[in-house]
Amino acid sequence: MAEDLIAEFFGRLADQGQVPTFAGESATIRFDIGDGEVEHWHVIVRKGNVTVSRQHKSADAVVRIKRPEVEAMVTGRLNAQTALLRGAVACEGSLAALMMFQRCLPGPPGSTGRVAPISSATVMSWRRP
Amino acid sequence: MSASTELVQILEGNTFVVSDSGGDIEASPTDPTGLFSFDTRFLSHWVLTVDGQRLSPLSTDDLHYYQARFFLVPGSGTVYVDSQLSVIRLREVANGFHEELRVLNHQNEAVRLEIRIEAASDFADLFEVKDALAKKGEYQSEPSPGSLVLRYRRETYMRETAISSTAPAVFDESGLTFQVTVPPHGEWKTELHVVTVVGIVDGSQRGAARSRGQRRVRRDMARGLEKWLQRAPRLECDWEPLAAIYHRCLTDLAALRFSTLTMPNRALPAAGLPWFMTIFGRDSILTSLQALPFNSELAATTLLALAERQGTRTDDFREEDPGRILHELRYGELTAFEERPHSPYYGSADATPLWVILLDEYERWTGDVRLVRHLEHAACAALDWIDKYADLQGNGYIAYQRRNPETGLENQCWKDSWDSISYRNGDLPGFPRATCELQGYAYDAKVRGARLAREVWRDMALADRLEKEAAELKRRFNRDFWIDDGEYFAVALDTDGRRVDSLTSNIGHLLWSGIVDKAKARAVARHLLGPRMFSGWGVRTMAEGDARYNPIGYHVGTVWPFDNSFIAWGLRRYGFKEEAACIAAGILQAADIFAGRLPEAFGGYPRSATRYPVQYPTACSPQAWSTGAPLLLLRVILGLEPHHEHLIVDPAMPKWIGHLALLDMPGRWRRMDAYGRGRVDTDRATQR
Repeated sequence: MAEDLIAEFFGRLADQGQVPTFAGESATIRFDIGDGEVEHWHVIVRKGNVTVSRQHKSADAVVRIKRPEVEAMVTGRLNAQTALLRGAVACEGSLAALMMFQRCLPGPPGSTGRVAPISSATVMSWRRP
Repeated sequence: MSASTELVQILEGNTFVVSDSGGDIEASPTDPTGLFSFDTRFLSHWVLTVDGQRLSPLSTDDLHYYQARFFLVPGSGTVYVDSQLSVIRLREVANGFHEELRVLNHQNEAVRLEIRIEAASDFADLFEVKDALAKKGEYQSEPSPGSLVLRYRRETYMRETAISSTAPAVFDESGLTFQVTVPPHGEWKTELHVVTVVGIVDGSQRGAARSRGQRRVRRDMARGLEKWLQRAPRLECDWEPLAAIYHRCLTDLAALRFSTLTMPNRALPAAGLPWFMTIFGRDSILTSLQALPFNSELAATTLLALAERQGTRTDDFREEDPGRILHELRYGELTAFEERPHSPYYGSADATPLWVILLDEYERWTGDVRLVRHLEHAACAALDWIDKYADLQGNGYIAYQRRNPETGLENQCWKDSWDSISYRNGDLPGFPRATCELQGYAYDAKVRGARLAREVWRDMALADRLEKEAAELKRRFNRDFWIDDGEYFAVALDTDGRRVDSLTSNIGHLLWSGIVDKAKARAVARHLLGPRMFSGWGVRTMAEGDARYNPIGYHVGTVWPFDNSFIAWGLRRYGFKEEAACIAAGILQAADIFAGRLPEAFGGYPRSATRYPVQYPTACSPQAWSTGAPLLLLRVILGLEPHHEHLIVDPAMPKWIGHLALLDMPGRWRRMDAYGRGRVDTDRATQR
């Protein structure tokens, strides 16, 4: 199951080819996933166009991360920036490459972008400093 | 304030030290002293004693923004006795801080002394220092023969402070001790290194080359400041204070330079010292705009850094949308654990159109079409955000309402306090709110986006569409926001499309954006310079006479220098040169009284009532956009405007300024000089 989420994500990314949120930029990122038996995903972005392989090749950024964290990230449950600040992700090399990559990650499940309007009467009833 | 309670602050980038005037740090959980880096306090206790005795300061020198020197003598300092010892601490910020400690013996005999430094850290998040929150992780203190490492750990989150010394010391869990003999009329010296370890950027902050590295950083800082000042245009003026104001602004702007982790060799303006040493979309953009005629690198970095973190998805906690430009980015523990949304937080309704405005203005000054081409995708995403994600009222206007009710911002415009947007009678409108200046920014972003589409991206269809939308927006805006009986624009439209009818300084930003119909501009200008709004020093955020008006209310009556600089720019844009000169006169005279460093805001009392501007008490000084205000005002009174490959100069300056010259103005014309002579009589307006 776990294998599926990660493979599915990178599979979808590769199928997409041109990823608009990469804004035509270029970078290479390798993900080293897991503790003991390390799984590699190598992502090449050329002018926004993505190719993915399983090779252990050099990259602008090498990202070390555990499996549950990747699963959380590719499903929007873990934000890349907070993971980095928390030490759940270690990035060697170009942090800019990782920052570019995170732009293809989904938002948190349940975020709708919508919120119910609030009336003037309600605002007036709030206790204020 | 007595000398011993005055705080001393030095900084570099997002690292800063706040200590007492003797150099000691004794922070309580809510006290703003300490060594801070990446929004975390790395030292909360740093106290020097000699033979168990505290020291008292004789004097303190702020040598540079990154360096301070403390002259101390043993004892409490209540009764001054000729001391046989003096102690000098020279402290510099760089990847933590570096402190040279010298003990001078003034006697004819050698003395044996025990010198001790107590050190500890609470690793508080900046937000915790403000709100006094409890910590959730564990502390460790690890002394070794050569160093003391203080550590904080919460799950995988780890921050460290490593303390070492060049002279031999005994390290224990709570500090370090030196047993020294100082020869007669001689001195003893050590260099202390306090290094902060964040662990995001690996390797670079550790290692044996630490002290050599710090010395290099220090030399670079001194050289960097010199170069920064030399590169700026030279100013000559008959009114002497202006040269000092100009120099203060450039130096403060240098201190406010901030580098992101992904662009360590570039600088953008952080919002303010010391608590807002980070990227703020709005503040970084507006300061870059103010400084653009003098330095274009800040603008370029701001554009790139904000594009890098431009929103790409829907996230209600961070209030992120595709294309939205961020509001604030933080690196502390509360952000790391999502107890605060600043990773980054996107709750700003103006940063996105303002980013497009800066992109265009940057190109007009620099001719750097490469950067504009590089940022085409980001610009289109920003323009799309305005129409697709910001129209919360469904009426074609930008509006805001927070989606993060716990830690999001209620007012997502520059007047972000809870009571800033109100009806004339003091009632508060509901949400979403469409404040007027947002519509002006949207209009300007479309007009400028159209120019870039036509001239740089060669996308004629986009240019045509944006121009059509802009014209349509202007037409509707002048109908929907205009208050006929008062002859001004409402501060906002509420959820029912009703005009929120207080009279505010926001109408000045409308002139700046160009959204105001020519026929309505004179009435707007009359209000801005009229007795309800103009205090003699500047334009009040809210007009006297409205229910919530308070001359010392944060956004409801105080005068903000930054606000005034954009209002003056707006007046110029509509041809009100003399009115713009009057505002420049008041603000520059205030700047002179504040020794060149304008506060964030000052009281809205009539000038005749207080004689001196009454400073609004705020934690941050210098504030970036207050620092930028005199720079923008210089542009405004000289009438500097890029036009193709030329710089137009069309001065309208206060008479008492006399002759003014800005030499070697950088731009697409390489270097040009601008001259003016003061001819506008501003005294009547400013003597209010």
